[in-house]
Amino acid sequence: MDWAVYLVGAAMILTGALGVILLRNPVHCALMLVFTMFGIFLEFINQGADFLAAVQIIVYAGAVVILFLFVIMFLGVDRKEAIGAERLRFQRPLAILLGLVALVEILALSRVDHWVSGAPAQSGALKGAGSNVAKLGQSLYTGYLLPFEMTAALLVIAVVAAVVMSRRHQPSAGEMSPAAQKELRESHQSALSASDPSLAGRLEAPSE
Amino acid sequence: MGGDPLFAHGLSLAVWLILLGKVVAVFVIVLVSVLFMVMYERKAVAWLGVRYGPNRAGPNGWLQSLADGTKLLFKEAFTPRTADKWVYKLAPYLMLVPIMIAFSIVPMGGEITIAHHTTYVQLADPPWGILFLLMASGIAVYGVMLAGWASGSKYPLLGSVRASAQLISYEAVLGLTTATVVMVTGNASGFGDALHTHAIVAAQSGHLAFLHWNFIHTAFVSFILFTIAITAEMTRPPFDLVEAEEELSGGYNLEYSSIDFAWFYLAEYAALVTNSAILVTLWFGGPNGPTVFGHSIGPFWFAVKVLVVLYLYVWVRATLPRLRYDQLMDLGWKRLIPFALAWLMIVAGFQVTNNVSGSGFGHWLAQKAWGFVAIGAAIVLAVLFLRAVEVGGGASEVETAQQDRLAPDGREVARRGGTP
Amino acid sequence: MVQYLPILLLLALVVAFAGGSVAASRLLGPKRPTGAKEGPYESGIVPRYRLAARFPVRFYLVAMIFIIFDIEVIFLYPWAVMYTQLGVFGLAEMAAFAVVVFIAFAYLVSNGALSWGPRQGRGGRAPVQLARSTTATVRRVPRPVELIQGKAPLPLGDHGLEPGRQPEPLPAGANQQAPSAQA
Repeated sequence: MDWAVYLVGAAMILTGALGVILLRNPVHCALMLVFTMFGIFLEFINQGADFLAAVQIIVYAGAVVILFLFVIMFLGVDRKEAIGAERLRFQRPLAILLGLVALVEILALSRVDHWVSGAPAQSGALKGAGSNVAKLGQSLYTGYLLPFEMTAALLVIAVVAAVVMSRRHQPSAGEMSPAAQKELRESHQSALSASDPSLAGRLEAPSE
Repeated sequence: MGGDPLFAHGLSLAVWLILLGKVVAVFVIVLVSVLFMVMYERKAVAWLGVRYGPNRAGPNGWLQSLADGTKLLFKEAFTPRTADKWVYKLAPYLMLVPIMIAFSIVPMGGEITIAHHTTYVQLADPPWGILFLLMASGIAVYGVMLAGWASGSKYPLLGSVRASAQLISYEAVLGLTTATVVMVTGNASGFGDALHTHAIVAAQSGHLAFLHWNFIHTAFVSFILFTIAITAEMTRPPFDLVEAEEELSGGYNLEYSSIDFAWFYLAEYAALVTNSAILVTLWFGGPNGPTVFGHSIGPFWFAVKVLVVLYLYVWVRATLPRLRYDQLMDLGWKRLIPFALAWLMIVAGFQVTNNVSGSGFGHWLAQKAWGFVAIGAAIVLAVLFLRAVEVGGGASEVETAQQDRLAPDGREVARRGGTP
Repeated sequence: MVQYLPILLLLALVVAFAGGSVAASRLLGPKRPTGAKEGPYESGIVPRYRLAARFPVRFYLVAMIFIIFDIEVIFLYPWAVMYTQLGVFGLAEMAAFAVVVFIAFAYLVSNGALSWGPRQGRGGRAPVQLARSTTATVRRVPRPVELIQGKAPLPLGDHGLEPGRQPEPLPAGANQQAPSAQA
């Protein structure tokens, strides 16, 4: 039973990951990423980590990939792109190198250490009575207090980044002087009159 | 540990049969109530407007939705040339499937014993429990987003941009208010299984009848916030500017026809039924209610409560006008989220030292002290936040004024594209 | 894990139902595609312009801030389940977390990052808004000169375009009937 679920989950993860790499349309890639998330979700359930499984869907599929999709769909990145043109020249060899290093690391870990076994965890918080989420809460809010509070700092950084993004290319508050406003209105006037002579006398005067 | 006792003795043939029976029953319940609800809404809105409503198909018109569905089945399903074929076909299912499955966590009664196998009157009681609500609404965003994008057409795209921003804006409120329920449940039951819907309902039973229900326990506020948020999450009126026909002529599902369109319709009403059921579970004690001659009639009370909630939705639809987009976003981000967060902390403050025993004013104060601290902190932060909202609105004002300027060719007035 | 079995079965049933109805629709519905039916909907006129390719940055901001609150909410759940046991210490911990994130959020709001729609209150707006510009985040589309000048728009034909501009080509095949409809 466990093995069957494990294999289905693994197949989903691999299919999704290959899809992300191989498909041409970025929206399809993002959808394959969601598929991968569901594979991971299945593996978490298989390990008895129900809360993490739910988090996988709520945060990753429900929020992070949604942000990806927002950017892809609504910034027009989904049009055809020339993949041949490269901005960073050493991108491709570097990516291949890093990929190989990661592969070797994973293989080495699975050979050297014993913890990549696929079997449910037998030690730590999972043992004993009480639900999965209760134990997670217990250890998160006692043993891992500092990392938890550090997460708040991390989120603050994200907020500041969002502020920077929202202010870019935009004049800051109070920058426009009354004189500039008057000039702006007058230029509206003259432009409208120029485009349509019949409007010339009928426009309201520039307000102060 | 929670979980359905049906599986306590392994999977025998009888267990499998009970299981299949429950699955089919839940599926039929959802489908029939959707068909009923489509009709009921049209009827009730007509009554509220002193009209007859549909009254031709079947007895008094009650088979109208069945007739509509059948008609749609016989219609041509065509795909726009500009569409992304696969995603276009996939989107309706991404909306319908999660919301129909979400009904499985709703407890419709207590326990029932069939052939010596005791089981909950609820399809499943998985350990993640009520988080399924957040998962389902998180996945449903994909349906709306992809439907609009894959159509390759203007109005659907605008509708889906609006819709997906609206859905994610109100999801946080949903999470915060549901966390309040989990907290109250954990305090009442004292075990680590407060996420289970069965435990949430069980914690709301007691001698004092409805005084145990969560909407009393959390002093109405969380319930009201949750109701607003889930109404927005379903894009029901007055939050239905996703499909504002005057502006978008239908919204994200504009290009869909035949059975694909029927799926969107089905998903919308399945969401209404499921979310009403979850609302009853969270706040109105689910199937809890008076017994009749010592027999528990949970399913009856459950149905009555859900019907009342469903009627409220119809009533709201017939009464309230639609919000504007900036009002919608302001309500979600600048009112509901801060309020929900503050209220969560206040409830936590009042309940955290509930186990301090004793009587008299001193003990009462010791019990409630943290609650008052939380209220004080909330007021300070609210003042700060109101100032932030004021400043933020002003900044936007100046920006817009500055962008209203003429382009060099002298013919156009620039304008920031604010609300598509 | 067996607790998930009913959900799996319901999923299978719903998917089977969906597949069955699609098959039924294929079987029962007619299949008579025409160019007009398969064109994107444009309120009855023949579509001339491509979709707006870009949307205001606010929408991405909403998605970004949503992630922040989503993470906060997710952290709330293990605490909400255990908060009686964690006691006042847990409350203080969570309060510190929530207050820090909330103040950051207030900073964001004070920068107008979540202010939508028209200005409220005082301040003059330009007398007419005619077209979107290159400074706007929505991509500008060529429009008839009548519209630019603020006169009553004429029906869209091949005439009436802004001088010197041609309509951008639609994706292949999407504009088959455009000129003949007007001619």
